[in-house]
Amino acid sequence: MGIQSNLKPIMQEKIPVSVMLQAPLKFKCLTDEVGLDNSITDKNLHRPQLALAGYVGLFSWHRVQIFGNTETNYLRTLTLPDRIKALEKITQFRLPCIILTNNNMLDQELIDICINAEIPVLQTEYDTSKAFYLLSEFLDDQFSPQIVMHGSFVDVYGVGILFVGRSGIGKSEIALDLIERGHRLVADDVVMLTKKRETILMGTGTSLVQHFMEIRGLGIIDIRQMFGIRSIRFQKRLEIVVELEDWDDKATYTRTGLDELPLEILGVEISKVKLPIFPGKNITVIAEVIAINYLLRTYGYDASQVFSEKLNERIRQKSGVKKIFEEKRIISYFQGDNE
Amino acid sequence: MSVLEAEVTIVNRAGLHTRPAAGLVKMCSKFLSDIYLSRDGFSINAKSIIGVMTLAAEQGSTLNIKAEGIDAEEALNSLIEYFKSGFGEPI
Repeated sequence: MGIQSNLKPIMQEKIPVSVMLQAPLKFKCLTDEVGLDNSITDKNLHRPQLALAGYVGLFSWHRVQIFGNTETNYLRTLTLPDRIKALEKITQFRLPCIILTNNNMLDQELIDICINAEIPVLQTEYDTSKAFYLLSEFLDDQFSPQIVMHGSFVDVYGVGILFVGRSGIGKSEIALDLIERGHRLVADDVVMLTKKRETILMGTGTSLVQHFMEIRGLGIIDIRQMFGIRSIRFQKRLEIVVELEDWDDKATYTRTGLDELPLEILGVEISKVKLPIFPGKNITVIAEVIAINYLLRTYGYDASQVFSEKLNERIRQKSGVKKIFEEKRIISYFQGDNE
Repeated sequence: MSVLEAEVTIVNRAGLHTRPAAGLVKMCSKFLSDIYLSRDGFSINAKSIIGVMTLAAEQGSTLNIKAEGIDAEEALNSLIEYFKSGFGEPI
């Protein structure tokens, strides 16, 4: 119970070229609107160097083709009929699209070949290595595995906390309470997590739900309209999963914070806190403390570790009974003003 | 604990809109089992109304139900009936 057991990742198999146009490369489309529905099925990019020279064995034609300075300069060394022949050779394959870096241009005759073959030609002002970097990052995100989790995702002091637990345990109510205290809602009920650069999970809501929320007994409310723009955000890195549970006398809960096991989602390890709840327990404040404690740890201070080391130090000193008595209190004598 | 699965089709004209979604969630909440609904791999907790509505399931679309728990069979059967009935709406 609690954490959804059917976490099947959703994999994007293809995206249309029109989606890639959103990548931050300031694309200019040189081929009107043709071929924008072409599918991109691979996140890797390809430079067609040898294919342009006529060798199309092992040509990764299904990838996005990048024409850098090498390709453009090579084409320039050829006569126009040879240029046309070289391009015709590679456009017989169903290339998803061609990208010209450094604002390079192709002859109108070559552009026309691409239009006929329904291959969009996109131009960017960035140099090849920058274009590679920006586009790889964009495509990596698009083709990343994603999962949907049932829970409430809130940014608490800049720490992304996902509350999970059985339905009706009060996840949305905790989120609402946190929003009241100035924290920000990322998504409620349906949280989409995407793996980024292998070690990071980014969370967001769905386009339909956005920042709507269901509160039992009230119905559906819109957090953005009620609390304003500062109460929401669209994306947040997931840092902690708080698993809410009904109080169980038999279960054991961590007392020192030294024995927490992380949770694995999409192969990424995420800190987990198991939190038993019962009426009257202020989970909101605990959530804030969890966030602040996480920040302290991230910035190098682990309270449970520090306390444990202090204790070990004391044990090592083997101080006698008298000294223990003296040191029991933080201060050795009370000041006279009785303040 | 048993895990049961079934495929269901939306038969009513208006699809799985707010009213049937609320009915569905109410029905699921009566059972102890964990119940998930999924469409094209997008899986949500069937006890969450926002989740169910996220599926935006129109007439003719197929959903997968997965029930996990001690009353999974009972839950699955009542859900299948509810889907078959078109949520009591015009077909």
